[in-house]
Amino acid sequence: MEMESEDLGWLEADLDLHDDYIDEDFEPPLPEEEASIEQVYEHHQPEPITKPDLSIPDDHITDLETETLQPKKRLLNPSLLDSANVDDSVEDKRCRVDLGVNEADDEWMRYSPVREEAADVVEDVTERFISRFATDIDGDFMPVTAPDGDRVYAKLVKEEVEDKVKKLEVKGRFEGLMMEPISVLMQKVEQKELQKALEASVSTQIDTDLLETPVVTEQLWVDKYSPNSFVELLSDEHTNREVLMWLKQWDSSVFGTEVKSTTDDVLSALKRHSSVSQQKKVYNKSNFGRSKEFVPNSGTFGERNHFNKENYDSHAIHELHNKKIKDSGPPEQKILLLCGAPGLGKTTLAHVAARHCGYRVVEINASDDRSSSTIETKILDVVQMNSVMADSRPKCLVIDEIDGALGDGKGAVDVILKMVAADKKSDTGTENNIQSEQSGKTSSKKKRKDTPLLRPVICICNDLYAPALRPLRNVAKVHVFVQPTVNRIVNRLKYICNKEGMRTSSVALTALAEYTECDIRACLNTLQFLNKKKEMLNVLDISSQVIGRKDTSKSVFDIWKEVFQKRRLKGVRKSIDGCRSSFNEFTSLHSLISNCGNYDLILDGIHENILQLNYHDPVMKKTVKCLNNLEISDILHQYLMRTQKMSLLVYQPAIAIAIHGVVSQVEKPNIQWPKSFHRYRMSLIEKVEALHTWHNKISPCISRHISTKSFVADLVSPLLHILSPPTLRPVALHLLSEKEKNEMAQLVRTMVSYAITYRNKKVDPLPGKPRNQASTDIQILSFDPPIGDFVNFEGYICNYFMLASAVKQVLSHEVEKQRILQSSINKSKDENERTNLSGKEKSSKPEHAPENTKTSISNLKNSSAPNRVTSAPANTIVSATASGRSATLSSEISKPSETTKKRSSGSFNFFDRFRKTSANGSQMTETVKKVPATSERDSRPVLFKFNEGFTNAVKRPVRMRDLLM
Amino acid sequence: MLWVDKYRPKTLDKVIIHEDVAQNLKKLVTEQDCPHLLFYGPPGSGKKTLIMALLRQIFGASAEKVKVENKNWKVDAGSRTIDLELTTLSSTHHVELNPSDAGFQDRYIVQEIIKEMAKNRPIDTKGKKGFKVLVLNEVDKLSREAQHSLRRTMEKYSASCRLILCCDSSSKVTEAVRSRCLNIRINAPKEDEIVKVVEFIGKKEGLQLPPGFAARIAEKSGRSLRRAILSFETCRVQQYPFTNNQVIPPMDWEEYIFEIASDIMKEQSPKRLFQVRGKLYELLVNCIPPEIILKRLLYELLKKLDFELKHEVCHWAAYYEHRMRLGQKAIFHIEAFVAKFMSIYKGFLIATFG
Repeated sequence: MEMESEDLGWLEADLDLHDDYIDEDFEPPLPEEEASIEQVYEHHQPEPITKPDLSIPDDHITDLETETLQPKKRLLNPSLLDSANVDDSVEDKRCRVDLGVNEADDEWMRYSPVREEAADVVEDVTERFISRFATDIDGDFMPVTAPDGDRVYAKLVKEEVEDKVKKLEVKGRFEGLMMEPISVLMQKVEQKELQKALEASVSTQIDTDLLETPVVTEQLWVDKYSPNSFVELLSDEHTNREVLMWLKQWDSSVFGTEVKSTTDDVLSALKRHSSVSQQKKVYNKSNFGRSKEFVPNSGTFGERNHFNKENYDSHAIHELHNKKIKDSGPPEQKILLLCGAPGLGKTTLAHVAARHCGYRVVEINASDDRSSSTIETKILDVVQMNSVMADSRPKCLVIDEIDGALGDGKGAVDVILKMVAADKKSDTGTENNIQSEQSGKTSSKKKRKDTPLLRPVICICNDLYAPALRPLRNVAKVHVFVQPTVNRIVNRLKYICNKEGMRTSSVALTALAEYTECDIRACLNTLQFLNKKKEMLNVLDISSQVIGRKDTSKSVFDIWKEVFQKRRLKGVRKSIDGCRSSFNEFTSLHSLISNCGNYDLILDGIHENILQLNYHDPVMKKTVKCLNNLEISDILHQYLMRTQKMSLLVYQPAIAIAIHGVVSQVEKPNIQWPKSFHRYRMSLIEKVEALHTWHNKISPCISRHISTKSFVADLVSPLLHILSPPTLRPVALHLLSEKEKNEMAQLVRTMVSYAITYRNKKVDPLPGKPRNQASTDIQILSFDPPIGDFVNFEGYICNYFMLASAVKQVLSHEVEKQRILQSSINKSKDENERTNLSGKEKSSKPEHAPENTKTSISNLKNSSAPNRVTSAPANTIVSATASGRSATLSSEISKPSETTKKRSSGSFNFFDRFRKTSANGSQMTETVKKVPATSERDSRPVLFKFNEGFTNAVKRPVRMRDLLM
Repeated sequence: MLWVDKYRPKTLDKVIIHEDVAQNLKKLVTEQDCPHLLFYGPPGSGKKTLIMALLRQIFGASAEKVKVENKNWKVDAGSRTIDLELTTLSSTHHVELNPSDAGFQDRYIVQEIIKEMAKNRPIDTKGKKGFKVLVLNEVDKLSREAQHSLRRTMEKYSASCRLILCCDSSSKVTEAVRSRCLNIRINAPKEDEIVKVVEFIGKKEGLQLPPGFAARIAEKSGRSLRRAILSFETCRVQQYPFTNNQVIPPMDWEEYIFEIASDIMKEQSPKRLFQVRGKLYELLVNCIPPEIILKRLLYELLKKLDFELKHEVCHWAAYYEHRMRLGQKAIFHIEAFVAKFMSIYKGFLIATFG
């Protein structure tokens, strides 16, 4: 009874202590409570909790003790109630009435100094049947944590307790043989039974936990010790904070204005660490900021909300402030993109942060179907719906490994982008959103796609620069994970090892962390494995021990850097470890390169960058060596491509390593992506393609003699010279002497036979179009198959004579005419003409015909014409071309300067005649316009090159027969 | 029309150089039949001209009426179908094609398309000339597999078809194929032969040639008739009344290689090598074959080199050219040669001048 009275006394005292307080402030309990919380923060702020996971702060332990105490209280309470102590019963009633308050004031209790004594008492009570293993105890037991953190199981011996109670009571105010009447005892037993049943039903989880404790070592340490609270995260503080801030920015839009950060999850993590007794109280949770339905799982820990808040470090306060400041709408960037190497804790951070902020995490990872339709519905689900089930927390979508499969990932990215875009459009608030949702439901699916994002979406990827993520990068808030410091990891590992009873040294752990490149997952897996094997972590031989070595495929840039950069060796050990370090270097490089696999790219990169390195090489021996190695790789590559002996690929990394041995430097290389070879290949293909097209255009009896090879090697340079003779005077055609005309004709024939013409590159790709623009913009006139490009080497000036643009224009017209002529001659099967124009005609191609239909080579329907035509020289052409040098470009009517030229052997110059007639004023247009209208091809070799829309300034009726004379 | 084409001999009788070969060919086909032929020789020596003249000799003028066809073929290769695009020149009697255009799929061209063509015996009313001629260009670029496929075709369809193969070097044609053909070597024309041709053209064009001018053209041409005639015409266009010391315009790419060579001679360092690489890329981009680049580069370098180094440099050039042919990325090998040369030359300079 002593104990009980003491206990009671303590309770009473406590209650008394706070009764005044409560009495005063009972009416508005909530604000006061908040104030108290604030107070607690104040209290805890100076105390830096940087490593909460490593050592449980003292107040934790004390808290835990109160925990252990509380069930005790409950056990004792029934008896208390029935103890017929009138004085006390009043108090008791009060106690009951104030249960909520009591609960709310738990923390006050925790800080009361009385507690220490109480803990001692508890110890006394439970010390009797204590064992480290639950199995050793038969009957009821409960786990208890001693002040030094040891966890034991204590048997609950009812009789003894009651015995003690009796004793105490004997000492106290009761008299009689039995302390209590039998009915009371019976009631007590019943109560106990009820209590037990309640316990069992309320927390099945805890029961299972209890059962599982002996097997707990089977659980993966990675899961077992995964951080559950925000403060436990090992990743970079800054990133953590940023992520949390971002999530917090959603609060106003997700939770409405009265947002409170509920952080029961943080608690749960802590709880796991402290491994407290699993008993619980059912508390009314309505007191806490966000109204929540009571769910057994989360509810068990709900009681510690305040406690958690104490533990809140500066982040939380920061958060609170932040929240107060930012109360308007979701954040600017609606998507968070976390990226970083595997094992750095991206997924963990996302989960913890989301839960911390009161979201229910919905994860989509690579194992799920990620086609765009599925993902869209999924996202819509997450974003719009609230589950009616127990957990009504808003959801937060975490898309893991978004860069994983390109095709699938892209679907997800597209959907998200669409939603973000929709958001931007209707960024006016929730009303609008609702509207759009409603309209989405009623209307077609198309409209549904415009649903904006209403819930946070966190995307996680390994490679930020994956092509699929390119659009996402622009709209998302990107956080790149950096490796946590080795120290942090080592501390954590040490803690875990201690917990698991594994002996390690921090040197070994540091080595392990470094070896795994701070991949926590890998570290833990390795440690667990070793622990299972009952092995010690060996510092020197870590590589053989670490079995969970992941396939680190680094980016090619890293590989090139590794190849070019010498690892700095620690000076003293260099001489001793020289051999081994070079061996290590070899293996690490080898695995690095073979993991990447893209040897071709790696070697290209080496080739690209090797000459930029600063290695000491007086007689270029090293360069020669490296290039020889590159040659070998190329030959090897070619060989195994040809023979398909892919097994030989394993020798490729060795080549890169050999180069590393030759040129690696301590200084940091400046590495560039190997563009030049790719560029070379692309432009080569382009040129070859151009050459082929041109080749096909040339008449076969010439082109058959030119191969691609001989073309550039032999032909181009002379051809360019020949095509631009410096002797050609830039004058009108009729001013040329006979000899010059012959030369001109020769030149034109050459151009025709090689299918070359001058062309205004910028504007008109079609032949036969007016060249008026060309006259204003002369520089653009150049060879049509751009043969000049083939000798246009960089930094080389070729000394070709440039023809005047006027000459070029004339030439291009002539070439055009010549083509028409040849094709028309081909058409007309006149044997005489063919013999006249022997060689030329053969080379003319039938392909010319179709394009000439445009230019309307036609004969007249004039009834009188046929006779004349047949008598006329066969190869007469009347061409009314518009080599207009006039700048009058007003509409389609411009002045044609008729460059008419008579071809072939006859000296009959049609041009002059025509000028005379036109001087009188001819109704040129009409005639000309009539021509295409009546155009009908028959065998008469009268040709018109017609440019529609051209007219003479002076109009005069002219007959066709005048033209044909 | 360029003089190269204008004065190309159309018949075997008109051939000026390789007259003996032409006469032999003429005799060969008098019986209206001939074995498979393999023409080989350096570019610009007149292989194609002879082949065309030979075809004309066999089939008459109708062989000159050719048309270009660009056909798409679907070849069924076991599990998949392969689409091939192939340009052919064909007359009624012969088909001319370039099987190596198909790259690594040339095997299918030989196995399917050529076989298909060879199978179909042309129907000839007179019963004579009951064969078709297939002219295959650039046989040396055919892959080994394609060449192996070819030899069976050559035997099996010899009744209905004759193959005329044409290549630069017979060394890359397999022994088996070579032994099934009558090999005709068309060597590069000698300089006096080129002079003869140039003078012939000059006479036809009515030009006055100063003495020694033709010889200079011939010398510059590197025994390629095509180039000789082209540069002759270039000279004519540049400046007609020829003067004796007239400049014969060089090839641009050769000039460029000359620049590269002087770059190399000026400085030997990785930095300079990097510049040279850029220039080499320029050349390669413009479809100049890497072998020719290497050869020309060696030529230019040798001109400036001390006597005792020449042998060594030649050796290495050959060495790297061989490796280039084994490999795929020509730039690696040319560059390696340049590096090697730089190394040798720098070593030599240090040894000589300290």
